[in-house]
Amino acid sequence: MTSLLDIQNLKLNFKTVQGQVEVLHGIDININAGEKVALVGESGSGKSVTARIILGLLQELRQARISGEVYFDGRDINTMKPKDCAKLRGTAMSMIFQDPTSSLNPVITIGQQFTEVLRRRNNKLAQAICDEQATRMLNDVAIPDAQRVLNAYPFQLSGGMNQRVMIAMALANRPKLLLADEPGTALDVSVQAQTLTLMRELVNDYQTAVLLISHNLGVVREFADRVYVIYQGRIVEDGPTSALFANPKHAYTQALMNAVPRIVGTGLAKVPEVSDAFLAPRITHSDVT
Amino acid sequence: MSAVIRLLLRRLGISVIVLIGVSMLIFAIARVIPGDPARIALGPNAKAEQIASLRAQMHLDESLPVQYGHFLADLSRGDLGISLYTNRPVTKDIAQFLPATLELVFCAGIIMIMLGLPLGILAARYRGRWPDHLIRVLSLVTVSAPGFVWAVILMLLFAFYLPLFPIAGRLNDSFDIARVTGFLTIDTLLAGDFAAFTDALHHLVLPAIALSLSGIGQAARLTRANMVETYNKPYIEMAQAYGFFPSRIARIYAFKPSLIPSLTIIGLDFAAMLGNAFLVEAVFAWPGLSRYGVAVILRKDLNAIMGTVLIIAITFLIVNIIVDLLIAFLNPRIRHSARGSA
Repeated sequence: MTSLLDIQNLKLNFKTVQGQVEVLHGIDININAGEKVALVGESGSGKSVTARIILGLLQELRQARISGEVYFDGRDINTMKPKDCAKLRGTAMSMIFQDPTSSLNPVITIGQQFTEVLRRRNNKLAQAICDEQATRMLNDVAIPDAQRVLNAYPFQLSGGMNQRVMIAMALANRPKLLLADEPGTALDVSVQAQTLTLMRELVNDYQTAVLLISHNLGVVREFADRVYVIYQGRIVEDGPTSALFANPKHAYTQALMNAVPRIVGTGLAKVPEVSDAFLAPRITHSDVT
Repeated sequence: MSAVIRLLLRRLGISVIVLIGVSMLIFAIARVIPGDPARIALGPNAKAEQIASLRAQMHLDESLPVQYGHFLADLSRGDLGISLYTNRPVTKDIAQFLPATLELVFCAGIIMIMLGLPLGILAARYRGRWPDHLIRVLSLVTVSAPGFVWAVILMLLFAFYLPLFPIAGRLNDSFDIARVTGFLTIDTLLAGDFAAFTDALHHLVLPAIALSLSGIGQAARLTRANMVETYNKPYIEMAQAYGFFPSRIARIYAFKPSLIPSLTIIGLDFAAMLGNAFLVEAVFAWPGLSRYGVAVILRKDLNAIMGTVLIIAITFLIVNIIVDLLIAFLNPRIRHSARGSA
């Protein structure tokens, strides 16, 4: 299998008043076509900035210094012109955000926003065809009364409904890669589980590769084929989901797994002091445990 | 749409209450100011019985509440009384002078919206970069001087040193235009006299710009501030993540939600132009309501003062109602508040 996304030695610096702050210290991530990969880590570990670099959004920020290679479909996003990169967004790759209700524009109907997304692929698409495609996509995410939803504003729909709309929009143009940044974290747990199941079925059907960004190990275990654990801007451990969950080797991964609440939970285990020795050994699991 | 109609009815009801309040206030204030209107109107040589008879005719020797009652009774018949200054019905005076002022304010308001909003959008779209800095400095400059100062500056620059525009007035005397609406730009077109129309527009340019300049700055600053806030919202990031064009994001996805909070203030600015117009009109010798208003206040022409203030209050209220309706139209939360949510 050829890899769809190949990130090599990606570094990110932010220029601040105090000077340079390095946020990513050279990470490598690899996603094959149709593969579901998770990037797990705590807040501030660099998960979300990674997604925004893949989209080419962070490159437009003047304070950001980015080095390394981000090959998407064989082309390096870091050296691409902003215009060419924008052409990929919404067509070859798309994204789902944390809070569906606040990620949809409050004063524009779902239908108009959907049309705009569909016209990213073909801007001469007739309104009737857009409506028809949107209706079909909404039916796919288990929204039967699509017409009502298309005429509605986000505030008129429930969070779970908006999340399905987001999923439908994200997959409408059949992207090769879907970035899901903590999808549905703002929703309640059961609705989140429902929409994730829905999303998994759809990406399997469409053969869409997914980079799922999450801090929720339960979600990751359910969803991903492969997992990368990111800690303080470094990938510390990676491997197939089952292997990694069966035998977490890095101290941080172990701590993360122990932090999952259980009936007899003991709270967050102590992670040893950060040192180069702690961060340096990247552990890669093979398929056999 | 029923929610909008209910909103309209409620606003109209409130407006009536406001108008009654304003009329009472002005009625009392105008009569508390020292000076006998009858004596002023009749001049220094008037005899005591003449003054007494005029006072009786104007109900000035009765108590304030009774006087107010007479005023309301006349008002209900559409009668605002006779102006002591012009010796004509106040309604006729207002009908003569108001259109010139409204024409000026209307043009200034259109200039304010047509320039202020796009400049604000532009600044927000390029926030932190040079177009933003330039627009912010310019709007700060325009905001920092009132309309009549700009009137004098513009008149000096573009009518005196560089005689590009006429220095004063509404229309060249050589034109004789039949009065239909009182709006010269419309009347000249109705008369089919294109040269007169151009001349009327030409006269309108400087006063309208002078009146609108601070409003342009205000609208631009407000739009920019609200839009910069909107740009930090998740739905803008979503629009960017889907590769929507930056200019389209600015014009629609960021501007539309930002317009709602801006609109209230812009509406107030628009209405406030009516007051500012008094001074701009004075500078450009614009034959509008201001000259009349100042003259009648100085002469304590009670009926004319009431009429002028009421007409300004009504304009204010109408603008506010229009703004409220616009906001209801733009904000789906208000427009759909009657329907149940899903």
